[in-house]
Amino acid sequence: MDVNFITIHKMKKTKKGDLKIQVLKNPAGFLGLSSSKLADLKIQAPTNLRFLGASIFNKKGDLKIQEMAFMLLGVFLFFILVGLFVLSIAYSNIRDEATRIAEERTLSAVTSISDSPELSCVASKSNCIDGDKLVGMLNKTSYQQFWPFSSLKVIKYSGFGKKGKELITCTFANYPDCDVLVVYDKKVSNERTIGSFIAFCRKEFENGYTYDKCEVGRILAGTELKNAG
Amino acid sequence: MKRANKKGIEMTFNWIFAILAGGFILFLAIYGASKLIRTGEQTVYTETAATLTSLFDPLETGLASGKASEISFKKKSKVYFTCQELYEPFGRHTISFTEQTFGDTYGEKGQEISVKDKYIFSENVIEGKTFYYFTKPYFMSYKVADLLMMYSDEQVFCLYNAPEDVQDTLEGLNLKNIYFPNSTTSCQGTRVCFAGGRNCDITVANDYVLKQGKKLYYTDDLLYAAVFSSPEMYECNIQRIKKRFDSLGSIYLEKIKILERENCQPTLGSELSIAIGTNIQSSKDLLILFEQIDNFDSINQRAKDGCKLYYNT
Repeated sequence: MDVNFITIHKMKKTKKGDLKIQVLKNPAGFLGLSSSKLADLKIQAPTNLRFLGASIFNKKGDLKIQEMAFMLLGVFLFFILVGLFVLSIAYSNIRDEATRIAEERTLSAVTSISDSPELSCVASKSNCIDGDKLVGMLNKTSYQQFWPFSSLKVIKYSGFGKKGKELITCTFANYPDCDVLVVYDKKVSNERTIGSFIAFCRKEFENGYTYDKCEVGRILAGTELKNAG
Repeated sequence: MKRANKKGIEMTFNWIFAILAGGFILFLAIYGASKLIRTGEQTVYTETAATLTSLFDPLETGLASGKASEISFKKKSKVYFTCQELYEPFGRHTISFTEQTFGDTYGEKGQEISVKDKYIFSENVIEGKTFYYFTKPYFMSYKVADLLMMYSDEQVFCLYNAPEDVQDTLEGLNLKNIYFPNSTTSCQGTRVCFAGGRNCDITVANDYVLKQGKKLYYTDDLLYAAVFSSPEMYECNIQRIKKRFDSLGSIYLEKIKILERENCQPTLGSELSIAIGTNIQSSKDLLILFEQIDNFDSINQRAKDGCKLYYNT
């Protein structure tokens, strides 16, 4: 009873609601000498007082702790939100940049693809596509993974001015009486195509001679856009 | 018993809570900031590697016998190359990039960028401020690929007794850091000997290049590839080129059917099929493959002018 009285008496002196730790220099307390109060290590938690019916003393203290906790939580959430905002901007920039680089790559590749061994005429003709070779590529899926395009098509002169559905797709059987040679099409949902005019040449037998017949054509290469929502 | 300091060390709950929570928030902030900086650095390095691949495209040779260019960076940089011949369909390279940050230390390299349509011949890691590269078309009767040789301003090549055509080619491309010293001039760098000699880093023989104790067999312009490339990169690219040769061969087999419709009768199909079916384990097998290539090439050369399957000029 005497001990409780001292504790309550001391709490009135200190700030209400505080946790007070007092380490006293006299080591006698550790030897169990309860008669020497100075040597005690006292941990006074005012919440204990509630059980003693003394909650009236710590209401303000509880409120302060709650205030602080909410404040910290608020600050924490604020920084998280700021971080998420910054990350979302940075992430969208990365996607934009990835698309920009992919488009740049498509543009640089499409201007040189007509000189690649698979398509080129080689016979002293620059920017020329060999249609007879291209037909041999129509069933090859391996080139989908090889070139950095999402689709690759060549439109013959006969297909100029025709709408998508009107174009006759070339096969081994109907070549050369067709309009468009689809090398491959990954059928991506969001694509931007870049076109370049080329010379489209093929062998033709006429008047007892086989010769290279060339006409204007257009090569279309697609890039998948990753940033569109 | 005399009372000592009765007050002792006093620490309110507010303080303990603030220190713990503050410390935690501070730790998270520092950790997050360092992560953000590292991610930003990695992003820039990855973008640089991706941009590098676009710079290689204009060097497709087309009808040209070779092209050359260079890339300069503000800081000293490192470019890492790997080659994977088993990657479908025709193998691939990966390129990653890093540059000096503080002092001589390099940042962590960026993500690897995959390049499938190029054949890069260089050391596995090249370091410097300026990177030089040049391309040469490679024909295995028909054109198969453009060979891209790359080195940095920190590499110097001293080519001793180089044949005239090699010297003309390299000088024609106006390449830097490649010298052709004679007995009176001195040259500090990688010693490439064409007619034997002592203290050679690279020895060029008739059909192979001896580099780092390994024989890299070559035909035609693969000579440049063997000189500028690491042995692993060279052997890997040979496998990749053979895969491309096979694929192109099958396209030409289809073209034979188209030519037959136009009153042509190409007869090289069976010889071409044999060459396509030949497996090569290393660059040494190239010599056998080229015997088969010569067989169908001679048939193509004899064909009527309008009925040739391919032209290699």
